[in-house]
Amino acid sequence: MRIAVLGAGAVGSRVARQLASTPGVDALTVVDPGAGVVDVVCASLGPVATPSTSLTLDLAGHDVVVLAGPGKHHRDQAERALEAGASVVSCTDELAPSRLLLALDDEARVRRRTVAVGAGFAPGLSDLLAAHAGRLFDDVHEVHVARAGTGGPACARAHHASLRGLALDWRDGAWVSRQGGSGRELAWFPDPVAGQDCYRASLPDTLLFAPAFPGLLRGTARVAATRRDRLTAPLPMLRQPHPEGLVGAIRVEVRGRRGQAFETVIYGAVDRPALAAGAVAAVVAVAVASGQLASGAAGLAVLVPDPLAMLHELAERGVRCARFAGSS
Amino acid sequence: MIRLLRRASLAVGIMGLVAAGLRLRGTGGTPPQSGGWRELTGPDLR
Repeated sequence: MRIAVLGAGAVGSRVARQLASTPGVDALTVVDPGAGVVDVVCASLGPVATPSTSLTLDLAGHDVVVLAGPGKHHRDQAERALEAGASVVSCTDELAPSRLLLALDDEARVRRRTVAVGAGFAPGLSDLLAAHAGRLFDDVHEVHVARAGTGGPACARAHHASLRGLALDWRDGAWVSRQGGSGRELAWFPDPVAGQDCYRASLPDTLLFAPAFPGLLRGTARVAATRRDRLTAPLPMLRQPHPEGLVGAIRVEVRGRRGQAFETVIYGAVDRPALAAGAVAAVVAVAVASGQLASGAAGLAVLVPDPLAMLHELAERGVRCARFAGSS
Repeated sequence: MIRLLRRASLAVGIMGLVAAGLRLRGTGGTPPQSGGWRELTGPDLR
């Protein structure tokens, strides 16, 4: 299979590294406008990888294009990839680009291609965990996702902006817009992240997982933030974002009915967000290229037919998940 | 007129301080009272 990775930042370079070590990947094109960056990344990957600095590179001949650059370019890049006959895997964790990508559903179905939206840490791994947890229930009533930490600079900027945008909650069969930065809730992540105050934010998670659970009553997504984050959210970022964030975490809480009982299942994961996002995007890209995912544009909770198999594959690549046992 | 403006700006300032205090203080809930995280390994992932 031939795969192109657009973006060689914190996430893109990890996606490329994961793909380069995957059997069956015959050719890997890594595209980034920074000549020095893309050359260094490709030099470390061996002969399978080819560097390119051309953002208008002809994508024909590629089976899958992984979008790992800034989210604002993903829609245009996805359209070019579909026109070239390739499927798309987007790592975006922003609401607006995710909406634009989901709007490609009809075109992707007509072309019999897949547009996997939000193939990262959260959304991404969180969707796989939610889908897996959902299979434990007869009816899923509530899904609540929380995340802490950021990947590269683009992710940090998106996190900052998300706190001043409008959050999308799914409530009783309808979308409800709530102010970002509201709805403080203490979420208990796996160690060492542990307890973090989390808030509503302009995140794509609910948009991506809600269609996977018919009959869902409530769906929310929150992001961990400090008091300084909330206070400065209306302002531009006051300092340059870090090259890569520290350890991050996700928490997925699913409530529903199993038999006669109403139960709650809580899954979580701890990892460097960019590292985990790279593994998730690579595994999804290989699954798309192998024809395991249906055509259309959707999130992983909808597209992935066997989330458990994908979680096994991720565990083999070092992305470990955990389950909370006990009362919360 | 000046007096009215002063009073209005004072009121707005106090409201802003109260709003900032409410936004920054408080807690989001209580930590879990029992239990803990257990890693999902091969046989647990089922």
